[in-house]
Amino acid sequence: MIEATQTALTPSEVTKIMSTEALAEYRQKLQAQYDPNAPMIYVCCGTGCQAAGSVDVVEKFREILVGSAWDGKVVPMIKPTGCHGFCSRGPLVIIEPQDIFYQRVTVNDVQEIVEKTVLNNELIKRLQYKSAGAKESITKASEIPYYAKQTRLVLKNIGRVNPTEIGDSIIRNGYAALAKALTQMTPQQVIDEVSSSKLRGRGGAGFPTGLKWESCAKQEGLRYVICNADEGDPGAFMDRSLLEGDPHSVLEGMAICAYAVGSHRGYMYVRAEYPLAVKTLTTAIRQAEALGLLGKNIMGTGFDFEVTISTGAGAFICGESSALMASLEGKVGRPRPKYIRSVEKGFRDSPSNLNNVETYANIPSIIANGGNWYKSYGTERSSGTKVFALTGNVFNIGLVEVPMGISLMEIVFGIGGGVPNKRALKGVQTGGPSGGCIPIPHKIPDINVGYGKLAEVGSIMGSGGMIVMDEDTCMVEVARYFVNFLVEESCGQCTPCREGLTRMKEILDRITQGDGREGDIELLEEIGKFTNNFSLCGLGTSAANPVLSTIRYFREEYEAHIRDKKCPAGVCKKLFHYEIDPDICTGCGLCKSKCPVKAISGEKKKVHVIDQSLCMKCMECYKNCKFRSVKIM
Amino acid sequence: MRVLNIILNGKAVTAREGQTILELAQENGVFIPTLCHSPALEPAAMCRLCTVQVIEGGRAKFVTACNFPLRRDAEIRTDSPEVRHGRKLIIELLMARCPSSPELQRLAVEYEADLTRFSSLNDDCVVCGLCTRACEAVTGKTLSLAGRGTAIHVSTAFAKISDFCIGCGACVQICPVQKISMEDVDGERHILLHGKIVSQVKLPRCKSCGKYFGPVIDLEKVMDRMGEHLIPPPNADTCPECSRHNLAVKLGKRYFEQYGVFREEGQADAG
Repeated sequence: MIEATQTALTPSEVTKIMSTEALAEYRQKLQAQYDPNAPMIYVCCGTGCQAAGSVDVVEKFREILVGSAWDGKVVPMIKPTGCHGFCSRGPLVIIEPQDIFYQRVTVNDVQEIVEKTVLNNELIKRLQYKSAGAKESITKASEIPYYAKQTRLVLKNIGRVNPTEIGDSIIRNGYAALAKALTQMTPQQVIDEVSSSKLRGRGGAGFPTGLKWESCAKQEGLRYVICNADEGDPGAFMDRSLLEGDPHSVLEGMAICAYAVGSHRGYMYVRAEYPLAVKTLTTAIRQAEALGLLGKNIMGTGFDFEVTISTGAGAFICGESSALMASLEGKVGRPRPKYIRSVEKGFRDSPSNLNNVETYANIPSIIANGGNWYKSYGTERSSGTKVFALTGNVFNIGLVEVPMGISLMEIVFGIGGGVPNKRALKGVQTGGPSGGCIPIPHKIPDINVGYGKLAEVGSIMGSGGMIVMDEDTCMVEVARYFVNFLVEESCGQCTPCREGLTRMKEILDRITQGDGREGDIELLEEIGKFTNNFSLCGLGTSAANPVLSTIRYFREEYEAHIRDKKCPAGVCKKLFHYEIDPDICTGCGLCKSKCPVKAISGEKKKVHVIDQSLCMKCMECYKNCKFRSVKIM
Repeated sequence: MRVLNIILNGKAVTAREGQTILELAQENGVFIPTLCHSPALEPAAMCRLCTVQVIEGGRAKFVTACNFPLRRDAEIRTDSPEVRHGRKLIIELLMARCPSSPELQRLAVEYEADLTRFSSLNDDCVVCGLCTRACEAVTGKTLSLAGRGTAIHVSTAFAKISDFCIGCGACVQICPVQKISMEDVDGERHILLHGKIVSQVKLPRCKSCGKYFGPVIDLEKVMDRMGEHLIPPPNADTCPECSRHNLAVKLGKRYFEQYGVFREEGQADAG
């Protein structure tokens, strides 16, 4: 992340905060320096936007702002922030106080933004957001449906604070909840507050967080607080954005947890593929320690809590709690075969409280506002909000935070903006490789997203991956993709997962290759149920879910592959071919011009024909035909 | 210690708290098949063959008998149709990997495994981890499981000839599919994994008879553990047979000194 230069809030200038009153004073001092009406330019510097060039945009802004003539006006501040969440539109720039939203900003746009928008309050149409099909563009970030329909509790600071500036977090009440817990609450009261919020683990299994803390606090001796930031589900990036955009909320949550369970030692297990998160976290921990908000004698209360970052080595299995702890101990990251909970005997055989990044990030606001406030969001059995990584065949790709119990259709259409390319929605995959496909809207009209409801339809909440699939998605191929992923990521210790999954992959491979046999579906179901019952760890006991749920809802697609040797969605290349419907074709010639192998022939305004011997099924004609005359046969 | 009331396959029995299901079953004459279990080693629960159904507090679940500690009253079904079906699949899957194992062949008959469903992989190792756990208990560093997923395999560090092996042969003895072997060639002990040499350990020559015997490092290790005073020094360079013989001679001499009857070594038996 880019270091801040303008907001003179670097902790090196202040001495350690030695009381909770001192923290409040420091906050007031910072707030006094901060003018809410002063112009402020927020540039998203999350991993996605950085890849799209946002670092250069920030540099350019700095360069221009220094060189511009301000004539006594307040010089705008530029703030590189964490992920704003609207990743498909990056790099994103938001200009306060007007809340002007610009998308896909490049270095070349910066001069114009400063001259027109910042200096003269003039809008630049081409950078503004327009909803799919809408004529009018939207000026304010808060009016864009993607943002307006979200409820941001966990993500509230992201996009508004510079994660490398602890002062930014403190202005927005960072560490106030820790101060409250340390001085006004007993550990038991903290646990009771968390229990009353009915917060459930956001890592996937949904175990009640308060209950976990309570059982950890009951143990004797040295205890550890561990944060699971080994986010590995394909397409999921909630934890990464939290760590990159608001690391102090997570650290504060961990510190509160440590106080509640009686621990003084914390570990953050981050996957090594998140270099920016590791860097941001390192800075955050250093700054918090310099201010006395972490480390020894926090805020003069006598409470110690140190956090160490440990990086993984690229194994998906290390997201499983016992494998994570083994890896943390320096051993091979394999789940341990013991029927003992890690709150009793975990890391180094000591009681260990392990929670997910998002779970910890929820804690400060629960302590600050109370469990009842948190419970007012969401449903009875699934309280609060959940961050989802919305991806796949949907207009708006990015992070969305919604209250539990929201309708899935509302997420896909209301927030996600629906399915692009005039395709129909076929289903939504939730929960990553351990989850399942939900066949909305055809077989299940809609469901309310919550732990129980998702389990009912054969999927899981998981860590929050949400992949939208359109009618061009082959469900057999989806199942094959996830099984293939798990075959590679299985630790290989136990027979059902190692051998069972390999055989499932073998069967799915042959089905998608057109060599499926009668009885293969039943065999898949048989092995799937077996691996779910007989495997050693959580990965194995949920590994068959993608296969079982696709068979449950899309059995006819499997049957078409096996019996008719057809892939109805037109994905498995050996099982379909394209034909141009002569009744629909207008002879516009678009397909002919797009075809990379010149397999399409036909004169202008006459029906075109595909030469099957040349066609390599690249989908170009199918995707581009405006009249949908290219058919999958 | 608390006594638990357990219903084991419909029969009421009592168990000690913390006892594993496998121990309880063995005490009560109920056979549960295992592949990766050895009473001498920490259970690894890798083969999953000993999976049984446990109903605790109204909740039924599948657990492995070798390492599930009983903590409360429960009902256990070691041979229900679901359990048998799962075991059958494990055997079918492992037989595809290692068709030559007599133990698996026996189980395949018992569980009526259909051996035609999965194509043969002929990998010859069932990845039970017994050798690696036995090795860990003795040397701690020679054999371990490397790789992951289907690529998981028993290996020395970086698949090189190990410097840590003491040639004890524990891995050879414990392997249920006989894929680790040991041979003494020209004063060296070789451990072979799938026929490939993974360790070469020098053997000492016996001072008395001149034959090669048990590996040097092995003795050092033993000396190390026992403390030198516990082992008579000559034994370190004498083979077990000669040691026994020498000791007998020594004892015989002492007997002669006391009672006056002793025949020197090599003398023909007159009686």
